[in-house]
Amino acid sequence: QRFRFCGDLDCPDWVLAEISTLAKISSVKLKLICAQVLRDLLGEPIEYDKILKLTSDAKLESGDVKATIAVLGFILSSAAKHNVDSESLSSELQQLGLPKAEHASGLCRSYEEKQSPLQDRLRACSLRLSQLGSVRWRVDYTLSSSELQEVNEPVVHLTFNVRDRECEKMTAVPVTLSANKFWVLLA
Amino acid sequence: MLLVLSAEHRAHLGCLPPAGGAAVGELGRLALEQLRRGAAPRACESAARKLNISVDIIQHGVEGLVYLLTESSKLMISEVDFQDSINVLGFSDELNKSLLQLYLDNRKEIRSILGELAPRLPSYHSLEWRLDVQLASRSLRQQIKPAVTMKLHLNQNEDQTAQVLQTDPATLLHLIQQLEQALGEMKMNHCRRIVRNMK
Repeated sequence: QRFRFCGDLDCPDWVLAEISTLAKISSVKLKLICAQVLRDLLGEPIEYDKILKLTSDAKLESGDVKATIAVLGFILSSAAKHNVDSESLSSELQQLGLPKAEHASGLCRSYEEKQSPLQDRLRACSLRLSQLGSVRWRVDYTLSSSELQEVNEPVVHLTFNVRDRECEKMTAVPVTLSANKFWVLLA
Repeated sequence: MLLVLSAEHRAHLGCLPPAGGAAVGELGRLALEQLRRGAAPRACESAARKLNISVDIIQHGVEGLVYLLTESSKLMISEVDFQDSINVLGFSDELNKSLLQLYLDNRKEIRSILGELAPRLPSYHSLEWRLDVQLASRSLRQQIKPAVTMKLHLNQNEDQTAQVLQTDPATLLHLIQQLEQALGEMKMNHCRRIVRNMK
């Protein structure tokens, strides 16, 4: 059976298996855990102790807590990836066996609130090789040199600050051009 | 298969009998810690103080035990062979028995540690991809040229490297087809026969 939030593919087996674990947690606590998982997906630090406290009532083991976080992370990020609206997400989660009244609707409400920031964040994380940070320039006028006594030529100095995606380092690439070459660059 | 212990090795292990039974247990523990985590000179010093033996002798003894255990685990020698190999040292029966027990208890763990020491090729960590369409370039306007850009993250001995690759969709499909053919080989009779015999 195909699900839109899985990208029109079958739902992975491990997600199916963990839906029953999600049903064990009360809906109020599930919404709070969702909020924490959304924080992690948006790049803020996750508060693992709070999640442990919230799951302690349902008597989940540590493996189950991690599985819960993984399943919620998958559902929310996958739904944002395939641009699924919260109504469809709710009906698909119910088809998987998540009880409607509280769990699915609570989850989808949290998803709906954060859908745009989540998609923006995923867009920013997409593969990008290098990024231009800034450009600095300076125009000089060469009067004379050791080769020729009267030069009288303008010279353009450019510095491109390039940010490498992985190491978050800025490398400066300096370029010096004569006036004619600069016109070719601009043309 | 018998272990051949060199003269130097025998001299190092020669410190064990005078130390006594408790010391052997302590040295065995130090040897295992050294295998798991690497040399710990401070632990050897504190053991030397406790047992009232010089640090050098303790160090040699621990190293001798480490070598004995790794060689025995590497070759997976049987109990009888192990006993015959250490009989050469002329230790007491009790000492021989405790050494044998040390070997048998920790054999599996030592083998798993030794298994991780083999050299490794870079292995797959993750793959990021992006689908682009080139619409125009400086030389030519109004084009439609799709391209898939991939960043392959590889892991080699805790070193992370990334390789950037770019291809057009036709080449990517060809690549996928070749990989599927490679996987398909596993289902052929030849591979099946070998896998069955290995199990």
